Amino acid sequence: MERDQSRRERIRVRGLWVRFGSVEAVRGIDIVAYAGRATALLGRNGAGKSTTMRVLGGVIPPTAGEVLVDGVEVRSDPLTVKRATGYCPDVGGLVPRATPWEHLQLAARLRRMEGWETRAQDLLERFELGDAAHRVTGGFSHGMGRRLSVVLAAFHQPGVLLLDEPFDGVDPLGVEATQQVIDDAKARGAAVLVSTHLRDLAMEACEDALVLRGGSTVASMDADALVGEAGARAYRALLD
Amino acid sequence: MRTEHSWTEVGRGLVDLRALLAFRSAGLNRRSRRRLRIAGGTVLLLTVAAIVVPAYLRAPLHSRDAGKFVAILPTLYLGFLVLAVLAAIASGGGREVVPREQAVAFPVSSVTEHFGALLLAPLNIAWLLQAWTIIALTTYVVGPTALVAAAVPLLAWIGFATALGQALGWVFEGIRRGPHGILVARLIAATAIGAVVVVVLADQLVPLLDRSPTVQVYLAAAYPSGHQWTAWAQVVAVLLAMLVGATLLGLLPARWALHRPLREELRLESGHIEPRPNPRSDLRAMVRIDRASIWRAVPLRRGLIVLAFMPGLVALAGRLEWDMVTILPGLVASGGALLFGVNTWCLDGRGALWRDSLPVSAGIAYYAKVIVLFEVLLAAAGFTIMLAALRAGTPTAAELCSALAAAVVVASQVVATSMRWSVERPYAMDMRSARATPAPPVVMAGYSARLALRTTVVGLLFSATALADSWTIPALVAVPLLSWSAVRLVRTAAQWAVPEVRARVVSVVAT
Repeated sequence: MERDQSRRERIRVRGLWVRFGSVEAVRGIDIVAYAGRATALLGRNGAGKSTTMRVLGGVIPPTAGEVLVDGVEVRSDPLTVKRATGYCPDVGGLVPRATPWEHLQLAARLRRMEGWETRAQDLLERFELGDAAHRVTGGFSHGMGRRLSVVLAAFHQPGVLLLDEPFDGVDPLGVEATQQVIDDAKARGAAVLVSTHLRDLAMEACEDALVLRGGSTVASMDADALVGEAGARAYRALLD
Repeated sequence: MRTEHSWTEVGRGLVDLRALLAFRSAGLNRRSRRRLRIAGGTVLLLTVAAIVVPAYLRAPLHSRDAGKFVAILPTLYLGFLVLAVLAAIASGGGREVVPREQAVAFPVSSVTEHFGALLLAPLNIAWLLQAWTIIALTTYVVGPTALVAAAVPLLAWIGFATALGQALGWVFEGIRRGPHGILVARLIAATAIGAVVVVVLADQLVPLLDRSPTVQVYLAAAYPSGHQWTAWAQVVAVLLAMLVGATLLGLLPARWALHRPLREELRLESGHIEPRPNPRSDLRAMVRIDRASIWRAVPLRRGLIVLAFMPGLVALAGRLEWDMVTILPGLVASGGALLFGVNTWCLDGRGALWRDSLPVSAGIAYYAKVIVLFEVLLAAAGFTIMLAALRAGTPTAAELCSALAAAVVVASQVVATSMRWSVERPYAMDMRSARATPAPPVVMAGYSARLALRTTVVGLLFSATALADSWTIPALVAVPLLSWSAVRLVRTAAQWAVPEVRARVVSVVAT
């Protein structure tokens, strides 16, 4: 596999283990993600994709292993990691009785953003959420919720963008807007991690791919290797 | 005949209810099952004790005047009915066996919903305490002769009152879900409150209560001691017929109400909310979101309004004196915590994961919840005291200080307990529906019993300090109690600061 090693390393995960009681959700995953590149996390349900994303977002502490985001160890300094990352969770991700604008207001306050209103408005318009900016999110459709979660993750232009199932239930225009957000993030030097079951969309957005199975990494490759019919067959073989 | 009105559907509804209960109990671990068995056994034991023990107490205490109890028993029976109606109305028609979001994939009929809500109605400490009280006082008065027979009309009345309350709860919920439903519901509530106020001001409350038909229930309980079996059988037959009738009658408004759209919820979810200026601190920003989560949730808003008004109105009607007003804040604070406080992260729902991914200290996230819960409980308790004060006369400094200290102490005590439960036992609960609760019904029953016990003890303590000569006594009593609550809050904050604990809480509530 050929990678531009001269690019800046933004995520380094070595031997990540996550246990919930007796359940081992992640068993020794290794990830390296670089500035300006997007990496797809692929795998079946329960492969450990979302748990890995949560660890990188500073929401779940790792049980063992080394997890560095921009050189900062997530366990020892989760607050700095949270400042550096933008996280779109796989489930919901929205406070049901707050409006999109209130979500953005809270994020802007906690991330010390000034003059954020224009960018917020622009993002909401791009994701066709402008008309719903002042409605509580509890009444949103699944797709609207997903789109807003992507907006919230990308809002502060983080160095590491973590998108967990961003295309799930999203219409084609929403998919386009999400792809655009990923491209923008790569262009300004962010590392992007996209966890999804939609292989084709992931391959369009990402340069690298990691396939997880049973909480472990089973393959790390260029995304090109998973494109088309041959890619589908190769991916299928990795899942069993 | 429409399917949902047929006997077949009634039978099927009961079978479905069994299936839902089995589904619910399958989610319990061994420890929870053991706790459930212990709790069920305790309730049964206390019910038997409420029937038997007072009856045998009467002999040694015979010199006491049982007549004063006879005079108030019909009013207490009526009070139980009022409680059942209010509980059903406040809970949007009654509790759900399985939350709507989880049950959405199953064809749960309104028949199952009705029987389920009826089954869950007793899982409430207010219901249990009132039931035990009327049983105990009645058997104390009628004595040990033919005790089982004496208990039958009481149990039938309790069942009937619960079923009728449930039916009226559905009617009110159906009205509320109709066009202009909120307005109509408020008009009905205002008219009912106005009627009570007029009756109280005209000094007609006691004469009216003296004519209560519930005196028949007492007479039926007393007939066995006089061996008047025919009269007993007649009243029991009527009560049982009323119980069955109210249970079946409730199916009609249940179906009507449940088939109507959730207008208030939909209005809240589709309405425009004017943006506010940017918050000036992290804590204010977090508090603002939590406040919005409370006041924009139908069950919480409605529950808090009922809690702020009802105990105060009862105190107003009963002209409660200041030394008893100290009990009220405990009732209100416990009830308020049971609306959301016992699982306070459920306010964030599925947004809990996102909120926890924001760069803010665990302490600020924790104390934002503490502040919001404390202010809500204190405001509701304060409002109740204000209402009660209207007819309680001019208080002495000690009485006023005791009432205020009771409010602050129970609010802080309940907040400390609720935060601990929220961190130790989180649940994924969607608080959208007016019928939603922050924890499963059985857990809620346990929480309500524990909160009621603790806050009543504190209320009684301040009831005693209200008799003191100086206001400094209640103030001095309050200091160690407040300090203890502060210590508990800090301990829980330390638990919350542990990343593993926080991860477990947010992962569970966001599921």
